[in-house]
Amino acid sequence: MKTATLNKSDIGKCIDLLLQADLRVIAPRLQPQVDEDGPDALEVLTFTEVKSGEGHQVGKGLLPLNGVKEFLFAKHEPLFAYEKRGKKIEIIPVHHEYPQTVIIGVRPCDAASIASLESVFSDANAGFEDPFFTERRSRTTFITYSCTAPDSSCFCTSVELSPDSAKGSDLHLTEIGDGRLHVEVITKAGEAVAKQLQELLKGEGDQATREKAGAEVTEKLTRIRDSAPIMDWLMDTANFDDEMWQRLGEKCIGCGACTFVCPTCHCFDIVDENKGSKGYRVKIWDSCQFDHFTLHASGHNPRDWQYKRYRNRFNCKFKIYPEKFETPGCVGCGRCIRACPVNLDITEYMAEVAHKATNPNAIKAE
Amino acid sequence: MIEQIRNQARQLLENGDVDVVIGYAEGSDPSRTTPIFIRKAEDVEKLIYDPRCINSLPLYLNKRHEYTRKGWKKTAIIGKGCDIRAIVQLIAENQLKRDEIYILGVPCEGVVSHPEKWDGSLHDGNRASKCIGCDVMIPHETDFFPGEKPDVDRSSPYEATSKNVATLMELELDKRFAFWRTDFDRCFKCYACREVCPHCSCNTCITDETMPSWIDPAAHKKGVFSWHLTRAMHLVGRCTGCGECTRACPMGIQVDLFNQRMKEVVQESYSYKPGYSLEDKHPLITYKVDDREDFIK
Repeated sequence: MKTATLNKSDIGKCIDLLLQADLRVIAPRLQPQVDEDGPDALEVLTFTEVKSGEGHQVGKGLLPLNGVKEFLFAKHEPLFAYEKRGKKIEIIPVHHEYPQTVIIGVRPCDAASIASLESVFSDANAGFEDPFFTERRSRTTFITYSCTAPDSSCFCTSVELSPDSAKGSDLHLTEIGDGRLHVEVITKAGEAVAKQLQELLKGEGDQATREKAGAEVTEKLTRIRDSAPIMDWLMDTANFDDEMWQRLGEKCIGCGACTFVCPTCHCFDIVDENKGSKGYRVKIWDSCQFDHFTLHASGHNPRDWQYKRYRNRFNCKFKIYPEKFETPGCVGCGRCIRACPVNLDITEYMAEVAHKATNPNAIKAE
Repeated sequence: MIEQIRNQARQLLENGDVDVVIGYAEGSDPSRTTPIFIRKAEDVEKLIYDPRCINSLPLYLNKRHEYTRKGWKKTAIIGKGCDIRAIVQLIAENQLKRDEIYILGVPCEGVVSHPEKWDGSLHDGNRASKCIGCDVMIPHETDFFPGEKPDVDRSSPYEATSKNVATLMELELDKRFAFWRTDFDRCFKCYACREVCPHCSCNTCITDETMPSWIDPAAHKKGVFSWHLTRAMHLVGRCTGCGECTRACPMGIQVDLFNQRMKEVVQESYSYKPGYSLEDKHPLITYKVDDREDFIK
C-alpha cells in the first residue's frame, strides 16, 4: 500500500486543489447560530458542500450531525414526472445530475456504513439495484480521518470497528503528531485523488506511529459492549416477546431522530407530489419509528405500540442486516444516543441482551 | 427536596392513589437524565431532580401515548413550573382531566439548555434562555410541593422576551429569511419537534394527511418551510415555551424561535399567556360577544 505524509495545515489547500479539478467537495462545516455565545447555542457541525478550503472543520470536532448518507441516498429524489391528459397519463423522465464528488473528513464509523448501505441498494445476489444510489456511489470518493477524541456516546469498538479503521475508505488520514498526517492510499479512487494532491503529499508515511496513535485513541473509548451474543439471542423467536422490549422502550416518543441521523438506516417512502393534473413521483426518507410506517389500509397496525417499533430498529441493526446482507447494521457512531430526546440508548439494549444471552438462568429466576 | 418527593410518591403508590409516577431518573451518561415510569413503591429511589432534568414530561399525558397510558387511571407526574404550564394547557384544551393527574411540583432554579452543556453546575453559560425571567420557578398548580410554597406574583400578562428572538427580529427581512433557508436546509423531517411537544395532540398530524396531501412530506425547501410554519401557526396561543422542540432537534435548528415570536404576538394582541389557569380558553378558540372588532359578529 502506498503511503505519504501531509501537513495538517494543508487540508484547506487540499480542498482548493480538489475544487480546481472541478470536483464537488463535501466537508464538515460549522453552521451559524442566532446567538453564538448564548447559553442555548450549540456547535452545529454538518457535512456541507464547500466552495473553498477556508473554514473547513476536517479533523476538528467529532462527528457532523448529518453523516454522509444524504449525499448517496438523497432526502428527496424525484423518480419521474407525470401529466394527466384526459384518460391518458404521460410519464416524463427526470434528469439527474451525479457530479464527481469527494467527501473529506469522514470518520471511520461513517466510512464503514457505506458498505452497509451498498448492500441494501445494490444487492448483487438479489439482482436489485437502486440506480440513484449506485450512480452516486460510483462517483464519490471518501477521504477518511482517524478519530482523536471519541466522546462518551461512541461505541465503535463494540461493533468490530475502531477509531482508526480504514474500512470503506479510499484515502485514509491519521494524525501522527507534529501537525503531520499519515496518508494511506486504499483504493484506485483514492489513488486518483492522491494524484490531484500530489504537490502537498510528501515522501512516505510513518506506519508505526500511525498504529500507535490508533491504539491510543482506541483506549479512550468508555462505552464498551459485547455484541457477539446478540444475533443468536435475537434469532430465538421466544425472545421476540421478552419483557425487556417494553421495559426499556416504553419511554420512546416515536420521533425519527435516531433513524434519520443513523448512517445505516435506509428506509424510504414513495409519494406523489401533485399539482393539478401533473406532478412528480418522489422517493423520500422514512422511519420505522413512525406510527404509520406499518399501518395497514385496514386500520390494523402490527407495530401498534412504540416499543415494538424500537424493537424493530434493534432487530434491524443486529439481526436483519447481518443475516440478510452480511454487513453490519450498526457502526457504533453513537448518533442515535446523542440525538435521542428521551435518552433511549441502544447500548443499554446491547448490554441487556448480552446479559440475558450469557446468563439464561439468572433471567428465569427474576 | 427529592426525598420529600420520593416519600410522597411512595405513599401514593402504596395507597393505590395513583397507578404510576412519571419522573426523571439517571440517564445512560452522567450529563443526561431520562424519563421513567415508576409503578412499584420500592422503585421511587430511582427518582431524581436537578438542573439536568430538561424533558417536558407532560408529553406522556398526551393522548398520542394512549398505549403506554393504558390502565393508568390516575397518574402522578413530577413537574417543574414550565411543565405544569403544559399540563394546565392540556386540561384547558380538554385533552386531560384535572382529577386524572396528581402533580408533584418541584422548585426549579432553571435547567441546562442541552445535556452537552452540563459541566456539573448550572450557571449563566448553560442555563437555558427560556429560564431567564421565568415566573413559575415556584410552580403554580400543584397537589404536592416539598415544604412551604411561597407566594409569587404572576399577574403580569407578559413573559420575558427572548434575546434570541430579539436578535433575529433585528435582522433585515431578507437576512432573516436567509437564516431560515440555511437552517431549514438541514431539516430532514424526523418530526422530533412534533413528538416532544406536549401540545401536538392531533390524531393525524396535518403533515401525515395524504388525501389531500396538504404539506409535501419531502424534506425539500417547500416541504420543510410549510411544515415548520404550519406547526408554528398551530401552536399560537397554546405553546407554553418549554423549548423542547429546539432541544430535541438532532440537526440543531432553533425551531422554537417561531413559537417564541408568536407568543409575543399573542401577548401584544390579547395580553394572554397560556398555561396559567385551568379555566382559560386560549384567544384563538374563543370569542366575546362584546368583542371590539366588528368582523366577528
